Amino acid sequence: MRDAAGDPAALEPLERLRAQRSRLADRMRPPWWYLTGAAILYALVFASPFSSRYLPQSDYWAIVVAALAVACLLQWGLDRATGMKVGPRPLRVLRDGLFYYRPGRPARIAMMVVSLAAIVTEASLIRHGLLAAAIVVAALAVAAEVALQQAALRGIRQDLRGGGGAA
Amino acid sequence: MTAKPDPFIHPITRLSICGLLAAGADWVEFAALRDAAGISDSVLSKQSVVLEDAGYVQVRKGAVGRRPRTWFRLTADGRQALQGHLAWLAQLEEAVSASTRDLQQARPLPGDRDQPRRVLPPLLGSS
Repeated sequence: MRDAAGDPAALEPLERLRAQRSRLADRMRPPWWYLTGAAILYALVFASPFSSRYLPQSDYWAIVVAALAVACLLQWGLDRATGMKVGPRPLRVLRDGLFYYRPGRPARIAMMVVSLAAIVTEASLIRHGLLAAAIVVAALAVAAEVALQQAALRGIRQDLRGGGGAA
Repeated sequence: MTAKPDPFIHPITRLSICGLLAAGADWVEFAALRDAAGISDSVLSKQSVVLEDAGYVQVRKGAVGRRPRTWFRLTADGRQALQGHLAWLAQLEEAVSASTRDLQQARPLPGDRDQPRRVLPPLLGSS
């Protein structure tokens, strides 16, 4: 291998790799069905305060199982559509904690906060008989979660572009 | 990490493959890697076998329906070798920039002073 010091052509691989990483990052755009599926998933999550109060126990657990199935399907579909397995993996989450994966972490923390706040608020409103207000809170929370999901994917895209590497 | 060239990664196609696999995805599918690297199916197949034999890349083959799917990921050895190679290339880049700067300072060309210096984003990951 020749020593390329002083040869500007030696820089070409680095420039090329930057452009290729940018191309790879551009593949990490969610298809329309992913965002629709995410909205359905969060709708199921934010329906839980209603279902736990108004539905029998068996129906409540059926909704929980449906939400888990939608989450798995969405991840599988995104992996296939983008050709990349990116983001926090379930086994690593169990081993290294919920927020081990660095790219898009602020958005994922915000998603957790929004989820908890919305569910607590909904439960409180339902207890006081303010059903309409609880439905509005759930709808706003679904919109916020979908927006935050997009922000998390944007963080992953930026990381791929910069070559930050998975944590 | 030692900055040193790696003979397996030095060819530009293999550098592209390893660099893309190190970008942050856990696994990358054949078509995604081929498109991002801008190479043909046969080149990717051939070079990935070399990297797999060197222990730098792990290959997983499967199928969705009748369509075969091949996934790649960088091994720990591959990541270490790539980081050393990229650090060596970055040193080279710095050396070339410094020598260009010295040349320009010694012999400024007309109009050169107004040219903004391009700052490139870092290539080395934090992992």
